[in-house]
Amino acid sequence: MATMRSEFPNVPTTGRALPSFLIVGWRWISRNPAVAITPILLPFIFLYFLSLISPPSLLPLEIVGAMLFTMQNIGSWVLGDSAFWRIECSLQDMFVASPLSRIRYLFGIAFSNLIAMLPALAILTILLAWVGGRQGNPLTPFAFLVLVACLAVMWVLFSSVGIGISSRIRTQREIWPIGNLTFTILGMLSPLYYPLSALPPLWQDAARFLPTTYAALLVQGALGITPASPDQMVLYAVLLVACAAVGLVITLRLYRWGEA
Amino acid sequence: MRTSEPTTPTRAFRGLGAFLWTEALVQAHESLAMATSMLVQAVLLVFVWILAPSLIGVALVGAILYSTFTMGQRVLNEAAYLRIDHKANDLYLAGPMAPEAYFLGMAGGTLLVYLAPVIVLGILAAVVLNLTLAQGLLIFALAATVWLFSASVGYVFSTFFRDNRAIWAYSSLFFNVFGVLPPVFYPYKLFPAALHPVALLMPPSAAAGLVQAALGVTYLSPAELALAVGGLIVETTTVFLFAIYWARRTVRGS
Repeated sequence: MATMRSEFPNVPTTGRALPSFLIVGWRWISRNPAVAITPILLPFIFLYFLSLISPPSLLPLEIVGAMLFTMQNIGSWVLGDSAFWRIECSLQDMFVASPLSRIRYLFGIAFSNLIAMLPALAILTILLAWVGGRQGNPLTPFAFLVLVACLAVMWVLFSSVGIGISSRIRTQREIWPIGNLTFTILGMLSPLYYPLSALPPLWQDAARFLPTTYAALLVQGALGITPASPDQMVLYAVLLVACAAVGLVITLRLYRWGEA
Repeated sequence: MRTSEPTTPTRAFRGLGAFLWTEALVQAHESLAMATSMLVQAVLLVFVWILAPSLIGVALVGAILYSTFTMGQRVLNEAAYLRIDHKANDLYLAGPMAPEAYFLGMAGGTLLVYLAPVIVLGILAAVVLNLTLAQGLLIFALAATVWLFSASVGYVFSTFFRDNRAIWAYSSLFFNVFGVLPPVFYPYKLFPAALHPVALLMPPSAAAGLVQAALGVTYLSPAELALAVGGLIVETTTVFLFAIYWARRTVRGS
């Protein structure tokens, strides 16, 4: 039997998963403009609301919160896409039968959804640099690196949370509520839009179990919004990586691939 | 082979009670969706509670109005889901049920099931704001008007979708732009004065403005009061009548 390699010797068989998912992500937003606009506008709607009710000095913190929340919400999108493709389109069987591994599939969907979120993140970064600069919290190269690193950890972690949960969903009706409920509650428990110290003590204790808390504290520390010593910064980074590692192990155990 | 004569609805709203109850039973099984229905309100109330506790009363009233407003989103999702995924609307509407009964039954069934958390919000608002009976009745009447408006909009919008996957993006945008940006969860004085007429023409913020004025939180001039009341009545009546017309027309079209 002729294999694909023998029939099409010049077609590369590796390194095509991410570009393919990039095209999927781009096609999705280019065909549905609201899909591109909604994730950009929603954080701004919340930011606008927060800017009205909170002191102006908290605005840089809230912008950082909006960026981390946006990145965390990619998990909800990954959940939606992978569940929709599996349940509605029965596409996952095709992926399982192909040489694509489940981790590549995870990164592929995460990557395609990152495309839709990039405009929102770019605008929020510019806004952070502008507002932070005016309020004495400049976006230095160090702060920018910390921000990008934290966003990257959030992206990997919550994308895997999304795909892990999606593989257990049985009907299409469950997709939207489960995604919304999971990621909104996780986002609200962490001090993304308010300082950790503003929360009631019990809530603060609960928040310390969540990786997003340490991502927020790290970026807030790097920007000088919430003062943190170098030792504290290292501790936050270690706790972020540790929480993320634990989260990844749990979600990858939850994640069903071929046997689903 | 003889077939029975097609049954055409002879009476307006025929089958409303039966479909309302059917829809209420269907919705009552959607515990996850019910929990999700209060997410945005809960988030905004948490924001206010932590960052501006003095505004919690206004925010609670806003949450009541926003909750009835987002019931339109439930109607949109349900109508689109039944039509696109289950193709059940053809089945329902091939029977003797009137098209407007299908729309209103769906909206009413959704309202019945999603009302419980709104009542909890109402009790909280009554305790926090020490509401009088008149203020309570005003909130009830305005919430009912906002519900009728959004249910009608939700049903009409649902008929434009061809793909379930695109719904959430458009509906989130619509319901958040009209429900969160204008002064629904916060007092009018925090909203740019030049844009007050715009906010008073949007049903959720018009209702919120009227409640805030009744509570003494916001001052609305007689012209602004007339704009809010007139806008709310005209918009709701127009959209509701259009939804009934549209429900009948889309059935004939199919």
